[in-house]
Amino acid sequence: MATTSKQYKAIGEDLWKGRTEKINAELFALTYGALVVQLVQDYEDYAEVNKQLEKMGYNIGTRLIEDFLARSGLGRCADFREVGEVVAKVGFKSFLNITPTVTHGALPPASSPTRSSMPPPPANAPGTSFTLQFDENPLAEFVELPEEALEGGLWFSNVLCGVIRGALEMVQMQVQATFVSDVLRGDETTEIRVTLVKYLEEEVPVGDD
Amino acid sequence: MSHHLFLLSPSDTPLYSLTHYSSKPSQSTSSPLASNLPSWSTSAFAGTLTALSGASSASQTQHGQGGTVKIGGGQDRHVIQMIANASLDAIEEVMRKESVMYLKSVDKFNEWTVSAFVTPGNMKFVLLHESRNDDGIKAFFNDVWELYVKTMLNPFHTAHTPIRSPVFDARVRASAKKHL
Repeated sequence: MATTSKQYKAIGEDLWKGRTEKINAELFALTYGALVVQLVQDYEDYAEVNKQLEKMGYNIGTRLIEDFLARSGLGRCADFREVGEVVAKVGFKSFLNITPTVTHGALPPASSPTRSSMPPPPANAPGTSFTLQFDENPLAEFVELPEEALEGGLWFSNVLCGVIRGALEMVQMQVQATFVSDVLRGDETTEIRVTLVKYLEEEVPVGDD
Repeated sequence: MSHHLFLLSPSDTPLYSLTHYSSKPSQSTSSPLASNLPSWSTSAFAGTLTALSGASSASQTQHGQGGTVKIGGGQDRHVIQMIANASLDAIEEVMRKESVMYLKSVDKFNEWTVSAFVTPGNMKFVLLHESRNDDGIKAFFNDVWELYVKTMLNPFHTAHTPIRSPVFDARVRASAKKHL
């Protein structure tokens, strides 16, 4: 498993280096910030803004996965655990040049809900999850949430949750991706939890076949 | 020894103000005029007398009895602000001649010196201080400038509105402690 993880890291690194069009990080952060602020002004309801950001992310994700699969040439993942590894080490690395830390969750109903030092549970059952912990978030450079946003429950980078959901849905996995904590809100870490809802049965060819 | 910092927008709207009491020792020159006033004259009227009789400007600062400068309750907030506002003309004059960012001391009153720093975006940082501390003040201004730029980059901050961020406030205070 360790070798595969290193391989994923290497793939991610190569993909990032191989990209010819990169965007200035400040421009990216400022554009996203302007987008969120405009949404806040338009909707005036932070829960609604969260929903809209997620929807936007979903649309991005459904298109992004094609680009990702074409460039990386990776095949189907064996289990949900591997999905988490690929998303973190290859996906995020090749698009945002960040590598969030992956922590795999245990299956909720069956065994005890402790995370670490447990034999890996059957990693394909619905309810399996992984958590992505972000050390840095290029979307949220320079951002400080005002009081109302903190009280209203705004997840500033909620677009990322949508991207994950949209991308995985295109490869036959219905997932739920939500923010668990965010440093912008004063929490210790920024974490997204991705939980598998079910595998989708429609046979849509992924990548080129 | 205290310092008063004001951040002013290009239209001279105050966006941020800070009073910092430095723990560093300084040579405070007591104004001989103030110590001559009778001990009961702590009103603004007495201050005006001081100004009219000696100082070259219309603004004044209040002195405690015996030549020691009293801070806090003894010094009126609006007096300080008047000094800062009066120095704006001097700042603009200097700005017209040179185009450096850090204008050292543009104005001097009884014992308050006004130093100014003008950013490329025409924001004015005005600092009222009592002692000379050019290097420290220059470093402080540069720090405040950096912090100001970071605040401007926050998408939730509207340009030229008062800066209320507690993070900015904390960092400016820390920088003041370090440099002043």
